[in-house]
Amino acid sequence: MTEDQDWLERLRSSDNQVRDDAISQLRELLLRGLSRSLTNRYGQPFSAEDVVQDALLKILQSLDQFEGRSKFTTWAMTVATRVGISSLRRKYHRDVSMEAFNGDDGYRIDIAIEASSGVGSAEDRQELLTTLQQLIEDVLTDKQRLAMRAFLSGFSTDGIAERVGTNRNAVYKLIHDARLKLKDGFERAGISAEDIKASFA
Amino acid sequence: MKLNSLQLTNLIDLMVTAKAESIGCDGCYELMDQFAQAELDGHTVPESLEIVRTHLELCKCCRDEYAALLTALRAISE
Repeated sequence: MTEDQDWLERLRSSDNQVRDDAISQLRELLLRGLSRSLTNRYGQPFSAEDVVQDALLKILQSLDQFEGRSKFTTWAMTVATRVGISSLRRKYHRDVSMEAFNGDDGYRIDIAIEASSGVGSAEDRQELLTTLQQLIEDVLTDKQRLAMRAFLSGFSTDGIAERVGTNRNAVYKLIHDARLKLKDGFERAGISAEDIKASFA
Repeated sequence: MKLNSLQLTNLIDLMVTAKAESIGCDGCYELMDQFAQAELDGHTVPESLEIVRTHLELCKCCRDEYAALLTALRAISE
């Protein structure tokens, strides 16, 4: 029997003692891992005990989803890390300004064109920033501007998703598509990413 | 909302580093344990998992999560 099969068999055992021992062993591993990885992350107090309890529940409910593509403990730690980091981000977002979500200004993203710095000439930078401002207004949708400005304000994609009632993947796609649209807009104007990097390096 | 200089720098960085990819955060999460296992074992990451590397380059949230996962896995293997 492989180590992974042993874990699964013991966690699914009808013998309470066997199952409880396996859960205790897994709890110990998760505690050790998350105490190291998540303490001091996002500047938030972190109780590995609380997170591990939630993570264990999720892992035990999801055992059928373990496909053996990694070690069982790697898979379990992946689930636990998602639970822990999501919890930390929720706490962190309570302290971040909510201005980004206020649509009174039509979700504008305004750039101080005159105040930028870099190694290129000030005229070149101003021209690039004027183009960027125009592209933001012309090619991005309201949802893309909202997601982008929330992201730039310090919200993670799952934090934005929670605020606007969608999922992390959808928010990621909004931001990803916005990035590509802006980059494509510059390329259509004959300005490459390298040109932009050179001006703002 | 008016961007401060750090936000503007981040926006420019997001824009110039953008590239097309085939998975989002959900797809990355589905493969993250497998990707981490290959890295931990010191194996060459299979070509089929290179999409994870690309996503991690593009997505700070998944990159942070993956970094935390590796730290945790290394802690339990000590």
